Amino acid sequence: MEVLYIEQTKSTPRVEFNATSGKLSIEGQSYPENAFRFYEPVFGWLENYLNATDQEVVLDIYFHMPYINTSSSKCIMMMLEILEKSHQQGKKVMVRWYYDAENEEALECAEEFKEDLAMPFEIKLTEGV
Amino acid sequence: MAGHKPPQPQGSLGTIYNQGTLRVVVLACLVIILSVILTGAINYYVARDAVLGKLKTKDMLNIVDAIGSKIDGRIERAKETSLSLAHDPAVIAWVSSGETDDIRGDIAKARLEGVFCSYDYANTFIVSAVTNHYWAEGARLLQVMSPTDPSANWFFTDLTLRQSVIVDIDYNKNRQDTFIFVNALIGDVEQPLGIAGVGLSLKSLAQDFQRFKYSENSNLWLIDQNGKIQLADNLSHNGFYLNDIISADLVAAITADRGTAAKHPVTLEYTDAGGQVFDLAYQNTRTTDWKLVVRIPRNESLSILDNIKGNTTASCLIVLLSLIFVFYLVSRRIANPLQQALRLNREMERQVLDRTQELSRQNEKIMDSISYAKRLQEAILPTEEEMSGLAAEHFVIWQPRDVVGGDFYWSRRLGEEQHLLALCDCTGHGVPGAFMTMAVNTLLNHIVARGVSHPAEVLTALHREFKATLHRNPAPGITDDGLDIGLCLIDGPNRLFYAGAKLSLYMLRGGTVSVIKGDRRSIGYRRSGDDLQFTVHEIQIQKGDRFYLATDGYTDQNGEVSEYPFGKKRLIAGIKSCEKLPLNEQALWFNTYLEEYRGTEMQRDDITLLGFSLK
Repeated sequence: MEVLYIEQTKSTPRVEFNATSGKLSIEGQSYPENAFRFYEPVFGWLENYLNATDQEVVLDIYFHMPYINTSSSKCIMMMLEILEKSHQQGKKVMVRWYYDAENEEALECAEEFKEDLAMPFEIKLTEGV
Repeated sequence: MAGHKPPQPQGSLGTIYNQGTLRVVVLACLVIILSVILTGAINYYVARDAVLGKLKTKDMLNIVDAIGSKIDGRIERAKETSLSLAHDPAVIAWVSSGETDDIRGDIAKARLEGVFCSYDYANTFIVSAVTNHYWAEGARLLQVMSPTDPSANWFFTDLTLRQSVIVDIDYNKNRQDTFIFVNALIGDVEQPLGIAGVGLSLKSLAQDFQRFKYSENSNLWLIDQNGKIQLADNLSHNGFYLNDIISADLVAAITADRGTAAKHPVTLEYTDAGGQVFDLAYQNTRTTDWKLVVRIPRNESLSILDNIKGNTTASCLIVLLSLIFVFYLVSRRIANPLQQALRLNREMERQVLDRTQELSRQNEKIMDSISYAKRLQEAILPTEEEMSGLAAEHFVIWQPRDVVGGDFYWSRRLGEEQHLLALCDCTGHGVPGAFMTMAVNTLLNHIVARGVSHPAEVLTALHREFKATLHRNPAPGITDDGLDIGLCLIDGPNRLFYAGAKLSLYMLRGGTVSVIKGDRRSIGYRRSGDDLQFTVHEIQIQKGDRFYLATDGYTDQNGEVSEYPFGKKRLIAGIKSCEKLPLNEQALWFNTYLEEYRGTEMQRDDITLLGFSLK
């Protein structure tokens, strides 16, 4: 599968999904005017990937999103639900969610996401600055 | 060069054009002038070398050669003539008879006269060794040779030389002329009977000399072994020594040269005391020891170049002038596109301006339309009286990001002391958000009109009806819409029920702020089931309690310094810090509070903040 790479902009995050390494990452603020249109290819890739991979593959998804607007958060939730589904099917899915120390909103947001999910979901403080 | 120019003021078209043209023309002319001068100089020197080469290897040699041949030719002819005279049987018989044989004598004298008359000899003679008589043309007996007479020395010397022909050169003072005598021995060389011969006047050669004159001040000299000028094209030089005219060293070198000059002409150049350059060539004559010397002043031999020089200069000037003219025209053509480009630019600017005006007209229309939509949206918001009816004090910040937006607040009086107050944040901003608010407003009105008043029930009903109204068709793609809401039921002066969908109620009581969280589910989303239940919070109101409702536009606003959202903590801190400030005056305060954080950043979302206290 091809690597999915979307360059970061002021209002959309950088998306880098690498099927070979099983590393997926989404980093940056997300408040596009039309969040569904932005995330549609991301869902598409993720679903194709999950359908294609065997059970042994470990999926490590990394989020670092300082701000997510309402509609983007709906999209992220949908994405997490897709992952949750494959976790329930026995695939090894690991979500790591990073937040910055000063950004309590992001922590709160991550906690809310985590509450609804059974798959491994780590919430970690970013290091450094 | 251009770098040192003072900065030009932003000139008109003319200035730009003129500067460009002038620069191109000046530059081009300089290049042309340089190349023309260079070509001219190269041509001149090439031609000069060619002329000098031709002069040295051909012209001068030809002159020397031709004159030499001329002289030699005449002497050869004279030799033949002398020999034929000396070998004439009548002459031999007459001389050997001691001039007694008159018949032969007449024949011999007639021969002598015939030779003299037929050719251009100065004289003809027969000298007898028998009688020592000297017979000249015209049958004249000129003298009797005497061994004691010095002027007759030649005769007695030549008789003993045993050469059939002897060339003698003699200057005759009386005649002021040099004669070349060609003497042939009569009879046997061992025992000659006498000498017959002819005399050649050098003056007769002078005409030939003048015919070979190369240029005005060129010279042609015939010099003897001592450097004496025997013959010159310039008659006044006759009798002088060459030393008088050119340097003695050079003359010595010329006269000493007996090797190469004997066969081939020799050329050399020298500069005289006056700095004038001369080319010089010399060669021995074949029949005598004399040398022919030709001298040509360099400036005269190059004088043909003066014509070339003049012509070249003139043609260069013509070429230059016409090139400058052509270049000027061409550069105007080159410069013209610039003008055209500028004109085009102006035209494009005009078009852009037209388009901009068109766009701004369109924009104005749209903005007019949206402004009107804003009036409609504002019309659904509770009036100031309605708000005052339910609250003791209150303030509202309603600030859509784009004139209209997805935020709105709503109130409804249910009874004397019962009111509903809601704050909604529909997904989307701007016009789509505003559409949603209109729909949600209507739905709320309908639900309440049906008699549903309990907050949780209102929310459940809203969820169901929103879906029924806005999600009647299968969704295109993955889009989904809904809303967050906080709904208060103010029940008399002492009780408040709160139900929220992702929206919290902040309560300030006794200096602390408690957050009454709404449920973690939004309303109206396609993916939520129809039967959503909401938690109801009951609050016993105490005097001085203040309540705040805020959409996430306030808490999510990013800052100029920090990219992070403003945050609930700051909001809570704000609520606390303006505890002493009357609610009516807090709108400005909270605006400033957020703006200080926001700085120059854009407003990210629609913002609504409600604050109220109960009667």
